[in-house]
Amino acid sequence: MTTTFVDLDVRPTLRDGGEPFEQIMQAVSALAPDQGLRLLATFEPVPLFHVLGSKGFTHEATELADGDWEVRFTPSQTATPAKPVPPAASSDATDWPEPDRHLDNRELEPPEPMVRVLAAIEAMQHGQVLSALLCREPMFLFPELEKRGHQWRGGFEPDGTTYRILVRVARNSEQVA
Amino acid sequence: MTPGQPGVIVEENMMPGVTLSRWTMSYFFAALSALIAGEALMLTGFGYPAAGLRAPETLVLVHVIAIGWLSLLMCGALFQFAPVLIARRLYSDTLPLPALLLLLAGLGLLLAGFLQLSGRLADLPSLLPAAGIVLSAGFMLVLWNLGCTLWPARPLPLPARFVATGLISLALTVAFGVIFALVLGQQTSSDPMLAIAGAALPLHVAAGIGGWLTLTAIGVSYRLLAMFMLAPELDGTRPKLVLALAGAALAVVVAIGLGAILNGASLFIPLLAGSLLGLASLALYGADILHLYRARKRRTIELNSRMAIYALASLAAAIALAIGLAILGRLQDGIGAVVFVLVFGWLSGLGLAKLYKIVAFLTWLECFGPVLGKMAAPRVQDLVVETRARKWFRLYFLAVWSGTATLLTGQTTVFRIAAALMLAATIGIVSELVRIRLLSDVASRFAGPAAVPRPHLLLSRPTSI
Repeated sequence: MTTTFVDLDVRPTLRDGGEPFEQIMQAVSALAPDQGLRLLATFEPVPLFHVLGSKGFTHEATELADGDWEVRFTPSQTATPAKPVPPAASSDATDWPEPDRHLDNRELEPPEPMVRVLAAIEAMQHGQVLSALLCREPMFLFPELEKRGHQWRGGFEPDGTTYRILVRVARNSEQVA
Repeated sequence: MTPGQPGVIVEENMMPGVTLSRWTMSYFFAALSALIAGEALMLTGFGYPAAGLRAPETLVLVHVIAIGWLSLLMCGALFQFAPVLIARRLYSDTLPLPALLLLLAGLGLLLAGFLQLSGRLADLPSLLPAAGIVLSAGFMLVLWNLGCTLWPARPLPLPARFVATGLISLALTVAFGVIFALVLGQQTSSDPMLAIAGAALPLHVAAGIGGWLTLTAIGVSYRLLAMFMLAPELDGTRPKLVLALAGAALAVVVAIGLGAILNGASLFIPLLAGSLLGLASLALYGADILHLYRARKRRTIELNSRMAIYALASLAAAIALAIGLAILGRLQDGIGAVVFVLVFGWLSGLGLAKLYKIVAFLTWLECFGPVLGKMAAPRVQDLVVETRARKWFRLYFLAVWSGTATLLTGQTTVFRIAAALMLAATIGIVSELVRIRLLSDVASRFAGPAAVPRPHLLLSRPTSI
């Protein structure tokens, strides 16, 4: 049950204004099954916790004395998951079909991005997937999707400013009372 | 990137989103009623400038505006928007109602207590200690609710850190207020309490107007202005410096000021140091806001963002006026005018301008959110008639600026005309807000089916369509 850790220090990349996402994902895919990743970053890389969580890693983040962060990602076979992944999420993690529709709503003023997403969904069939690019997290859209019974995934792209949401149309919303 | 890859998409139905805050409209209604009441008091010549700055009548007026109008407005807005800043739900959607009732009852007691100081209602025992207890209970419920909302979201994003600092300042303001109330109500004779009550008024004002109201408004304005004008969110070093300097200013004024008071020393040094730090912070904030307006992708901006410019100009004018008066050595004489333009031009102006958008947006979301995509729905802008509201906003700012001029020149009678114009303009703006809330202008401008029920004026109902 011992896990060895591979070190990856992305602080120089971050300080040069670079984007270390690819570097991290390469390091992760090069890990052996019993290996974990010890990541050093200049901030607490919260989005990464979800990304690597969906790849079966648990994390343990420690703030270092100089304000940097050390995060140990451990493959979950060798550790108890700190936070169980919701079953619906894990079963759906890989098998969403390619999006049937794409929207780029980044240049629209709020709440137009939300209006267009909901309008597009209403015209789609059960099981189809919509992909939309937004310029911020659509806080008021989520409850509306939930009410209508659709599933979604969302997150910031590595550029940190574009938010991509995928919505899988659950069924014709008229049937959702 | 293929969207099927889990590497790109990091959240999955885990994000609850933000729902409508049930009691926010009630807070807005109570707040606007207090603004109208305060302006009516000024029109009738009650309180400053007809009475002195520290007269009981002025205390009534100041607290109708500071607690009744601005604090209730800010609390109502935070119950809705603090969750947006941190992408979490409000801790409790129920607590805001008892908090509002306590705040209104406490404010009523406070005003009655001030009137007792002026010789009215003299037969009753002092109501000030009770006012202190009830008001602080109300504010504690607000702080508890917002604190429990923000706490799990640490480390907080920058706009939320402004709000958190604002909430700490609110706690400090209330603490000073309670001490004043206990001393004025003759409930304590402890020496430190008496010393604080004697000298800490500038600290109470700085924590209230500077820390609570201005810092919270700044934090929320960063996010709202960026959102409504499609400008990139600011998250660089400068906004962080704005917060750090403002936090330092507050710490200097409150902590060192308190130390000075308890040791019988003068407040001059902490107030001067705090003012300089505060000025540096506001100058950087001004630079940030100019950047936001210039970097916006939306060329024609809505009325709320245009009117926010007048509010920001009032903030700049208040600073320039304070510096000018200080150089002339007449800051003591003109402090009333500085606070007036700060409170009515900057805080109230920004509040009214943003309410014009917020009420429309929340009403639209409540009524048309559930039917979006299922039937033709009006846009948010179909709920408002900007050309009609514009004249009221212009009148409001003109009246505030001329009111400031009459205060500087000591024309107390002409000031009442300015107050009358402010009152008329405010009633005009409020009637526009009521029309928005009741969807009065939607039917005539939108040809689609009007199948949605009219919302309640005072509270938001979660819909189940």
